[in-house]
Amino acid sequence: MAGGVKVKESRCRGCANCIKSCPTEAIRVIDGLMRIIPDLCIDCGECIRSCEGKAITVNEDEWDLIKSREETILMADPTFYVQAAPYSRPRLMKEALESLGLTDMAEHAAIAFDLAAYAAANLIREGTEHRPFISTYCPAVLRLIQINFPELIERILPVESPLETAVTLWRSATGSKKNVTLVSPCPAKATLARNPVGRAKSSLSYVVSVSKVIRDLLAHNVKVTGEGIKTIGRRWLLWSISGGESRHISAFLDKGMTSISVSGLRNTMDLLKELELGRLDGIDFIECRACDLGCIGGTGTYESRFLSHLRLENLETEWLPAQEEMEVIREWHEKGIWRLDTPIPVKERLPLSQNLEEAMAKLREMDTIYAGLPHIDCGACGRPSCRALAEDIVRGQGEETDCIFKLRERISLLSGEIHDLSSRLPHTIHPTKKRRSMA
Amino acid sequence: MTQAPYIEEYTIQAGDFTAIGEAATRFKSTLKMLGISSEAVRRAAVVAYEGEMNALIHGGGGTVKMTIHGDHLVIEVTDNGPGIPDISLAMQEGYSTAPDEIRELGFGAGMGLPNIDRNSDSMTIDTEIGKGTTLRAVIRFSPREAAARAV
Repeated sequence: MAGGVKVKESRCRGCANCIKSCPTEAIRVIDGLMRIIPDLCIDCGECIRSCEGKAITVNEDEWDLIKSREETILMADPTFYVQAAPYSRPRLMKEALESLGLTDMAEHAAIAFDLAAYAAANLIREGTEHRPFISTYCPAVLRLIQINFPELIERILPVESPLETAVTLWRSATGSKKNVTLVSPCPAKATLARNPVGRAKSSLSYVVSVSKVIRDLLAHNVKVTGEGIKTIGRRWLLWSISGGESRHISAFLDKGMTSISVSGLRNTMDLLKELELGRLDGIDFIECRACDLGCIGGTGTYESRFLSHLRLENLETEWLPAQEEMEVIREWHEKGIWRLDTPIPVKERLPLSQNLEEAMAKLREMDTIYAGLPHIDCGACGRPSCRALAEDIVRGQGEETDCIFKLRERISLLSGEIHDLSSRLPHTIHPTKKRRSMA
Repeated sequence: MTQAPYIEEYTIQAGDFTAIGEAATRFKSTLKMLGISSEAVRRAAVVAYEGEMNALIHGGGGTVKMTIHGDHLVIEVTDNGPGIPDISLAMQEGYSTAPDEIRELGFGAGMGLPNIDRNSDSMTIDTEIGKGTTLRAVIRFSPREAAARAV
């Protein structure tokens, strides 16, 4: 199962930076190489940010290979359309792509995002239980909830990612069954295509990063005029900054809604923790994004997130679709293509043992081991913390001497013993009298 | 043969708002490692968190202790604070004696005890004016879970 994050082994120097950056403690360094525990990884990209040797990257498919195909069809994330100054409007980007023989589906994406916001608004208006609802959009947040906050799963709106819905709309409009490549700003959305949550199979076949495609466009120095291509709506572009989705949804609610939008993992974790403790009464909707400032802060983006943010903040847009657009949206809404097929499952951590008593015994053992460790969480053992090492040991995935302090203790004990032994002599040898020479 | 229960305990220092929620987080991680259902884990986290808050706001610090038995767990919050003069009043939603500086931090809304009550299977409060308060909340693991574990 390929995740959204990839390690270039030749570049990994086995340092402890990434281990400590991981919010779910999913990283170990074993035999000098970074390893990810797939069940715990949420593809947030924090390790990519922390890696000084640039050994960790978004796990993307070969762009040169993808674009060399007869027809290359792109479903690009909204961030893609605001990242490069010459092409920072959907229709300009479309023109640039077309001149390189690439097809995108921005006009369908615009409707898909309208549809997702409209569907969410309806669920929020009608829903009485499980308030506040949680946005489905950021796949890293979804996985974080599955692993660390399973109690909150029922609050997640069962709305399909518009990145998937857009492909459905495009297929319906063109009748094409061709493979579609997702242009992703982050490892989390890369995983959306490879290992989707809430549906059996993704409609996206390949993944390439926003930064890769934009670099290519800029390298070709494609000139655009913006003539002859229909204007494409802009509301959906705002989903790439924190708060954009909430704004879009509330446009469909007469009374608006009370929402909290946060970005960055620390804010996301804190907010979910407060929600779990039942501290957020009176809130209708929660929008969390794992990356700072929203998707424009993703590790697969091209431009400075601050510049993208500035551009988006200054973007003027109509929040409500025009009458004829609204009819299309209602029609698709009725067909239910926006709904997640399957419920989102809990990802339970493997308990220490299936038997509670045994698990308690192991936990005691773990406490004893932990008590003997130095508690400085240095990371030299390849684990994020002393507690994680203690856990790995009782799970049979490590030993106490993986800790260099423990190792030193053992060596010191051993050297004392060697010294002790070396001072002892066999009974046949007199301690002071010199042995007669053999000669 | 039943094993000795597993005990985990944390001390809450007076005035230390930054450490609040630590016991709840640790308990949660312990319970997950034991394979306790997420519903029971959630309830235990809420009880521990509210208990921590109470001990901090009203008790001037104290201890939070979790004892895990085969089919249930007990969370005990003990403080040496002023005690609760009228428990039934304290149990009312929205009733609070928290000082203004606590309310300014967004806490002390009078939801603590009701929230603990709602999230536990039984709750007792022993309090003595001028001596302190001990709150004891029991959370049972779901019967379905206990049955699955017994095999």
